[in-house]
Amino acid sequence: MNKQMIIAGLKARPVRTTVSILAVALEVVLILVVVGLTTGISDETGRRTEGVGADILLQPPNSSLFLALSNTTMPIALRDKVRELPGIKAVSPVQTLVNSSSGLEIIYGIEPDTFNAVSNGFIWHRGRLFNSPDEVVVDDIYAKSKGVTVGDSVELLNHKFKVSGIVEHGKGARLFVSLKTAQEMTGQNGKASMFFIKLDDPDRVETTIAEIKRLLEGYGVIPLREYARLMMSNNMPALDAFISSVVFIALCIGVLVIFLSMYTTITERTREIGILRSLGASKKFIVTLIFQESAAICGVGALIGIGSSFVIARTIMAVFPTLTVLITPDWIGKAVVFAVLSGIIGSLYPSLKAAKQDPVEALAYE
Amino acid sequence: MKSLLETADLRKTYTVGKIEIEALRGVDLRIREGELVAVMGPSGCGKSTLMHVLGAMTKPTAGKVFIDGQEISGMSDSELTGIRRDKIGFVFQKFNLLPTLTARGNIEIARYIHGKGVASNGHDQHLREILQLLMIEGKMERKPSELSGGEQQRVAIARAVANKPAILLADEPTGSLDSKNSEVVLNMFRELNRRFKQTIILVTHNPELVAFTDRLIEMRDGVIVSDNDSLSWDTENELAQPARSV
Ligand SMILES: Nc1ncnc2c1ncn2[C@@H]1O[C@H](COP(=O)(O)OP(=O)(O)OP(=O)(O)O)[C@@H](O)[C@H]1O
Ligand SMILES: [Mg+2]
Repeated sequence: MNKQMIIAGLKARPVRTTVSILAVALEVVLILVVVGLTTGISDETGRRTEGVGADILLQPPNSSLFLALSNTTMPIALRDKVRELPGIKAVSPVQTLVNSSSGLEIIYGIEPDTFNAVSNGFIWHRGRLFNSPDEVVVDDIYAKSKGVTVGDSVELLNHKFKVSGIVEHGKGARLFVSLKTAQEMTGQNGKASMFFIKLDDPDRVETTIAEIKRLLEGYGVIPLREYARLMMSNNMPALDAFISSVVFIALCIGVLVIFLSMYTTITERTREIGILRSLGASKKFIVTLIFQESAAICGVGALIGIGSSFVIARTIMAVFPTLTVLITPDWIGKAVVFAVLSGIIGSLYPSLKAAKQDPVEALAYE
Repeated sequence: MKSLLETADLRKTYTVGKIEIEALRGVDLRIREGELVAVMGPSGCGKSTLMHVLGAMTKPTAGKVFIDGQEISGMSDSELTGIRRDKIGFVFQKFNLLPTLTARGNIEIARYIHGKGVASNGHDQHLREILQLLMIEGKMERKPSELSGGEQQRVAIARAVANKPAILLADEPTGSLDSKNSEVVLNMFRELNRRFKQTIILVTHNPELVAFTDRLIEMRDGVIVSDNDSLSWDTENELAQPARSV
C-alpha cells in the first residue's frame, strides 16, 4: 500500500522526481568516476611499474611510492655498493621526469643496457632505441592516443623530441629517454630517482631487502611485486584528501537536493498529511512514508548513476587511451551507501516536520 | 441505550498571539449509539472545533470527552491517533481525498492504516454494500480530479465508514456542493444511519437537513443553545424506549 502511494506521489510530480533522481545519479557518478579515475591511474601506474620486471625497487629516503610526486634523488655511485651484495644480477638506475602539461606523463630516463637486463628488454613495434639526446621512445598506447609514429616530433617539458621507436606498453613508463638526457633536464648529474634491482634468485627478495636496508639506512626498499598494493594502500595522503573532498561534495549535492525535494513535497502535501493523520496514521507512518519516498529516489538514482558511470568510464577510456577508470565493486558499494546516506540526512528534517504537524492545522491549510 | 460520545463542560481556547479565543465554552453533550445528529449554528460558533475534539483530532483545553467510553483529554498523541484510527470516521467540507490515489486507493489506504491491510471477507462484503449504497462502484479506478464534487464526497464517505467506525463525523460535507448533489449526499448519510445503524454527527448550514435527522443541536458562541433530544437519558427507562424505525 505504501508502495502504491509512494509511486503515485512520485508520478504526480514527474519533473521534481526526475531532477531528484538525476541529482542522486550525479552524486554517484561523481564519486565513481573521480575515484575511478584516480584509482585507475594509480592502479595502472602501479601495474606498469611492476611490469618492469625487476625484483626490488630502491628509492632515496623520504621519497613517495607515487613516483610522480617524488623529486628526491640519490647518487648513481650507490649502485656499486648494492652490486657487491650477494645474488644481485643487475641494478638499473632510472631518473623520472614528469610532464604535466597534458595530463600526468611520467618519463623514464634509462640506461638501455641495465634496463634491458632487469626488464628482459622491450618488445618493439617499430623503430629503434634513442641514440641522441633529443630522441624519445614511446609506447604503443601513447603513440595511438597522440597519433604519432616514428620520425614525428613531440614536445615534452619544453623540449622537442623525435620519436625514434615504439614499444609494447607495460614497462614502467610510456616515454623513455636516455638517463643522461633526463639528468641534464633535471640538472641532477650523476643522480637517479630510483634503482630497479634484479636478483639471480627471486626467492631471495626478503633477504636481499634486509641486506640493502642495513647497507642504506632510511632508504625505501620494497619488493616490486607488491608495489601496486603498497602504493594504493598508503603514502598518498594528498590523494586520500582529494577523494574525501570529492565524496563530501557529492554527498552534499545529494543531501541538499533530497532535502529540497522532500521539503517542498511535504509543504505541498500538508493537507494530504493532515488527511492521513485524520484517518489515524501515526507519526511513524508519516516519517516512514517520507523516508521510503526518498529511498525510492535514491535507489533509482543510484542505479542510474552506476550505469552512467560505466558508460562515462568507457567513453573516457575510448577518447583518452592513456587514462584508466577503475570502477571497483568496493566503490560501487560505497557510492550506494553515500546515496542512501544523503537520502536519510536529506529527509530527516522534512519528515520530522511533517510528523509534527498538527492534523487540524494541516487540514485547515489550503 | 449506550452513550457513545459524551462531553462534560468541554472547553477549547485558541491563543493567537496575546488574544485568547474561546471557541468552546462549556459544552455538555451525550450522543447515543445509532443516532443521526445535526449540529447547526452561525459561522464561528465553534461547530468545527467541537467536531475536531469529538474526533480526537485535538485535545480540549478543559473538561472531559468520552469517546466510546475512553476519556481523551489526558491522552498522548499516539493514543489519540489510535482513537481516530479505531473509532472515528471523518468527512470534511472539501479536499477530502488524497489527490494522487484513485478512489479505490483512497479507501484502501484507510483500511491499510486501520488494519495493516488485512481485510476479512465480511469486511469486503460490507465495503461492497457501502459502495453500492453510495453508487460509486463504477468509479473506483478514477482519481479525485476525474470525479464530480458529489462523487468525491461519496468516496470520502465510503472511506470514512469502510472500517466500521463507532462514530462518523461530517463537517459541512455538502458545503461545497450544489443543492441537488447535497440532497443525494445527505440521503446517503441517512441511509447509512438506517441500514448500518451508523452513528453520525453532521455539521450543516442547510436548514433542510433538519428533516433528515432525528436530533438537532444548535450552537451559539461556543455553547449549545438548543437540543431537541426527544429521548430520555434515564437509564432505568432505557429498555422501555421504543425501537427507532430502521
Ligand atoms: N486554529 C485556530 N486558531 C485560532 N482560532 C481558531 C482556530 N480555529 C478556530 N478558531 C476560532 O474559534 C472560533 C470557532 O471556530 P470554528 O471553526 O469552530 O467555527 P465554525 O462554527 O466551524 O464556523 P464555520 O461555520 O464558519 O465553519 C472562531 O472564532 C474561530 O476564529
Ligand atoms: Mg467550521
